Amino acid sequence: MQVLPIYCDCGITGFESPSAEYREMGLSLDELLIKNPNATFIGLASGDSMQKIGIFSGDLLIVDRAKEVKNGSVIVANYNGNFICKIFDKANNRLLSASDNHQPVYLNESDIFQLEGSVPISIRKHDDSLNLLAFL
Amino acid sequence: MEMQALADASGCFASMEKVHEPAIRQRPVVVLSNNDGCIVAICPIAKKLGVPKFEPYFKVKWLLQKHNVVIRSSNYELYGDISDKMMSVIARFSDNTYQYSIDESFLKFSNYEGVIKDWCIYGHEIRRAVWRETRMPIGVGFGNTLTLAKAANHASKKLPDSDGVAVIDDDYSKKHYLQQMKLDDVWGIGRKLSIKLGLLGVKTAYDLANRSPKSMRQQFGVTVERTVEELNGVKCLNWDDVQSPKKEIFSTRSHGQRIVNYNDLRKALTTHAVKVCNKARQQRSLIRKLYIFASSSPHDERYIKKGIMYDFPLATDNVFSVASAIEQVLHILYVEGVPYYRCGVGAVELEGSDFQQQDLFLSHENPALMDCYSRINQKFGKGTMQLGSESRQEKWAMRREFLSPRWTTRWSDIPEIHC
Repeated sequence: MQVLPIYCDCGITGFESPSAEYREMGLSLDELLIKNPNATFIGLASGDSMQKIGIFSGDLLIVDRAKEVKNGSVIVANYNGNFICKIFDKANNRLLSASDNHQPVYLNESDIFQLEGSVPISIRKHDDSLNLLAFL
Repeated sequence: MEMQALADASGCFASMEKVHEPAIRQRPVVVLSNNDGCIVAICPIAKKLGVPKFEPYFKVKWLLQKHNVVIRSSNYELYGDISDKMMSVIARFSDNTYQYSIDESFLKFSNYEGVIKDWCIYGHEIRRAVWRETRMPIGVGFGNTLTLAKAANHASKKLPDSDGVAVIDDDYSKKHYLQQMKLDDVWGIGRKLSIKLGLLGVKTAYDLANRSPKSMRQQFGVTVERTVEELNGVKCLNWDDVQSPKKEIFSTRSHGQRIVNYNDLRKALTTHAVKVCNKARQQRSLIRKLYIFASSSPHDERYIKKGIMYDFPLATDNVFSVASAIEQVLHILYVEGVPYYRCGVGAVELEGSDFQQQDLFLSHENPALMDCYSRINQKFGKGTMQLGSESRQEKWAMRREFLSPRWTTRWSDIPEIHC
């Protein structure tokens, strides 16, 4: 969605605020974090295999389907019917984890593998003041 | 030459269910209507299995079970969000687009000579972009008129050789696609009309295109004449013709839990009437005639259906007037002991509120009051201010037994991604 920051005057007289000329829209996290809003969805990370690049269980992942996926990109894919987040090793046709406890996953022909998008941004909360279940 | 295109989703709601749920992408999926009554959408995989559309759910339950079909209730929150995104992507491909429904969008290309050399390639570009960015499969049809674009769109999805894009831009392609198109699939030709035309030997869209427009007008009226002209590339319809305010507004529902008493039926009907009234006001229409009906299920032993046409002496958009209309007719509608399954209200004759003929003897209603009522509900949310006779605890609310999560509109429902 594009917002045009145009203000209209409703005819109430009085001292005009000296800052009126400089009004801008407030900062928007959407604008900052989501480059392609029509091609983006937000998911919830679950699991510990990506901790070395800073993705922890409970983090929010911004998944952009329009952004080009390069060798080494952090990606989300449909892997055998599940959304997974891994590092894409295009050259060797495998998925890498960012953890010492997880081996690379080689993609076979029998696997269902659909690249879903890349993850340009992830968001972490540092205490429990943000509870997703509380937003209905 | 001007080119028109129609882009629309294949198996729209069923495909939307698959976007955020990879586990069901390779499986057959169907979506049920309000209250889980009928099948309203089937994905291409389910279609191949022979699952029929618009059948009551309970009739085909066995078939769905046999093929292990994924069943979903209508998730309008999800569909609205995905539709917005899909339409925004489609709108990038022309400077002039018009969204016709939740899953259909027209694109107009004037003065694009030399800019777009191959419509077929361009159509595939649109398809690829929509698939990549929103994971929705669409069909794209091109033609010089809206009716041809609609026909090409139909071909793009139904014919095996067109893989999602069809272009009607010369005599050859016109013949090729229209010959394979049944008459009642042509825009504006309903089933009844197609039977009548069939008796004259008109079987396909191509047969119809070869009839003389004048003789079609004499026999079937101006709409069919226009359709014939449009099938031959003569432009008769504009977007304005297809986007005029709705001529009828209905609110109707079948009930998860049957309605068995007078007061509950009154509440349900009043709520429908208020809904219709508010919709009419939104599009600046006044209601002249209101159709009020209630019935048991046609599958019941004793099927009862009653409907009453209520004439307002002065066309109205006042919720008090429509509510009192319900009061007046309810005792005629209601039959003791009938388990009502379906009821509803329809405004079947509407007038523009901009040019209302006044009545000498009837006092005009209070438009300021209705304006205030509308604004309060707009500002503070639907149902903030309502009539006492409307239903509050929606006992007869929708049944949505197979509802999927609201993946994109509720934080509590966002999809899980395994790391």
